[in-house]
Amino acid sequence: MSGDTSAAAASSAADHDGVVGPGTPLLEVRDLAVEFRTPEGNVRAVDGLSYRVAAGRTLAVVGESGSGKSVSSLAVMGLLPDTARVTHGEVLLAGEDLLSLSRREHRRRCGERIAMVFQDALAALNPVHTVGYQLTEALRRRRGMSRRDAGRRAVELLDLVGVPNARGRVKDYPHQFSGGMRQRVMIATALALDPDVLIADEPTTALDVTVQAQVLRLLAEIQAERRMGLVLITHDLGVVAGMADDVTVMYAGRVVERAPVRDTFGAPAHPYTRALLHSIPSSGAGGDGEGRRLPVIPGRPPSPAALPTGCAFHPRCDTARDVCRTDPPPLEAVAVDRASACHFAAEVLASHDVPPPVEHEEAAHD
Amino acid sequence: MGRYIARRVLQAVGTLLLVMLLLHLLTTVAIQLNGNPAQAFFGDKVASPTQLAAVEQRFNLDDPCFDQVGNPCLGPFVERLGQYARGDFGTNLRGREVSDIVAAAAPNTLRLFCVVLITWLALGMVLGSVAARRRGSTGDHGIRLTSVLIDAFPVFVLLIVYRYVVAVPLHRWAEETFGEDSWPPYWFKPSFDADHPWATVVVPGILLGLAGSAAFIRLVRAGQLEAYQGDHVRAARSKGLAERHVVVHHVVRNSSVPVVTAVGLTFAEALGGAVITEGLMNIYGMGGVLWEAVRNDDVGLVLGIVTLLAAVTVVVMIVVDIAYAVLDPRIRYD
Ligand SMILES: Nc1ncnc2c1ncn2[C@@H]1O[C@H](COP(=O)(O)OP(=O)(O)OP(=O)(O)O)[C@@H](O)[C@H]1O
Ligand code: SF4
Ligand SMILES: [Mg+2]
Repeated sequence: MSGDTSAAAASSAADHDGVVGPGTPLLEVRDLAVEFRTPEGNVRAVDGLSYRVAAGRTLAVVGESGSGKSVSSLAVMGLLPDTARVTHGEVLLAGEDLLSLSRREHRRRCGERIAMVFQDALAALNPVHTVGYQLTEALRRRRGMSRRDAGRRAVELLDLVGVPNARGRVKDYPHQFSGGMRQRVMIATALALDPDVLIADEPTTALDVTVQAQVLRLLAEIQAERRMGLVLITHDLGVVAGMADDVTVMYAGRVVERAPVRDTFGAPAHPYTRALLHSIPSSGAGGDGEGRRLPVIPGRPPSPAALPTGCAFHPRCDTARDVCRTDPPPLEAVAVDRASACHFAAEVLASHDVPPPVEHEEAAHD
Repeated sequence: MGRYIARRVLQAVGTLLLVMLLLHLLTTVAIQLNGNPAQAFFGDKVASPTQLAAVEQRFNLDDPCFDQVGNPCLGPFVERLGQYARGDFGTNLRGREVSDIVAAAAPNTLRLFCVVLITWLALGMVLGSVAARRRGSTGDHGIRLTSVLIDAFPVFVLLIVYRYVVAVPLHRWAEETFGEDSWPPYWFKPSFDADHPWATVVVPGILLGLAGSAAFIRLVRAGQLEAYQGDHVRAARSKGLAERHVVVHHVVRNSSVPVVTAVGLTFAEALGGAVITEGLMNIYGMGGVLWEAVRNDDVGLVLGIVTLLAAVTVVVMIVVDIAYAVLDPRIRYD
């Protein structure tokens, strides 16, 4: 990338405008901020998050534990706990701001237009109801589907997500399924009302590696088939490389980099992204799953209650200089479709200091 | 499920036999140490040896083992088990069939229990649910304070205050307002009326239920708070289901499991409460009968009733276990 392009792009402003894939966005999050009321005062868990997903596209949201990935998804779904409050921002679903709707109206869009797959399927499925009941609960309640049709639909949904012997299993309870099958059931419940957008919050962290790959492949297939917009929250950069079109990297509640996946993997524009990429083993290392977890960067992510001054990443950053300790870097465009929140983004981008693009075979195809 | 129930029933039968054996051994030792209760039949009168022998024979106390301290007297025990199996529970000292006495007294105790159970569940479910729903609000704090106050207030104080202070004026007021033959005066009648068993048992039952409800309120609140935090509630909401449906099918439904368990566990405690309540409110029930029997040294009656109560308790435990398995599918397959 030449200095010219980045300068030109930078002038096109700090917002998300430059960073969208093709197609009109189905879901657009604008400058979202979420605060928790805690005994120690208000804590800002998400601060100025923006992203866009178009139909048939996958956006990966990456970040260490506690960076605000789940909290922001819950805000989009209107499912934040009582102690949390959206203090700023918009969530546009096909142009309609969900956050300006009443709670009831917002809830109505859930499932129907936008659905969510939760991280821990065992906890997210109710142990006292059959899988069939939970699959079609919304169809029966909201669409008034008859018990018989619902029963048939439950079998179809289980078939769709590849649960063997679907007919025999609709009457089973969640604890009778294996982890991978449970996650498939979870995905099927999210698909029941045929949503336009699916948010998958670390859908495979609880599973072992081979099962992870199968579940992800299923998700990718269904997404492609239905042309859903998919927001894939993950710890796994291998998954990002294999499945996502765009990536949003979060650190301490903020977006630090946003880019098309191919561009970032070749040349990250933020030291945090670079550090993340550095610590993934190359694809030749073999399919040991542990290595593909979000890599360890020296030091710990800060708590949102006690953010470092200046750039929140500075205590752990290998590129940090004096200005980083005092001035928070704004998120600015660094190239076409790309933005980074670093004072030295252009420098980082130009250094090309990364391993060759990693694309994980298992996640992508197997 | 079938095997689960069968296992529970077997365990219950075993428990019951054990309780009966224990009871038998205790009374045997008591008889061996204290002398023959057949004497009690005659009160203060002096009985001739032949009269005594006749009574002993009638109450199965004629076995020589009752004179040998330390002898477990298993013979009479087995004999009695056989009689029970044939539906013969013996007679009291006045020759009345124990089963007749029970048939007259048990329905009133059952009525009392029904009212108590409904009070427990209604108060526990409603107040507990409200407290959990509005956690941290004034209502929540009020409900929690109330539950502590209820606990600090013994049942019998509640009943005495009601009977001697509140009931009489209320009863009079109800008679004047609604007329003597209407229902309301009976609700507040300070003592039991065999002709209006339901009406006169309602208020004592509610008071007894109120006394036990504190535990339920707290249990329901805690259970629902946990359920509200659960990922499955969040997942149910994410399907766009109405909040009402989510609360009923994913919060209340899930929190019903510990509540049912607690009903079983508190049952024995409620039996104790029933004895006090029946005594204070003159309700002709099992508690009252048992109390009389103990006072009169009526061993046959005591044994019969205690055995029956043990059987009822065991049956309740089975019902609770089955309800538990029905409510929580994870139990069945373990
Ligand atoms: N109930 C809560 N009360 C107070 N703070 C909270 C609460 N839930 C989350 N937070 C704060 O929000 C921040 C973001 O949490 P979030 O769950 O979104 O992280 P995450 O990126 O999803 O992490 P993970 O990868 O572990 O799931 C956390 O650091 C935490 O401090
Ligand atoms: S602003 Fe400074 S501390 Fe922050 S990422 Fe860039 S170089 Fe590192
Ligand atoms: Mg999370």
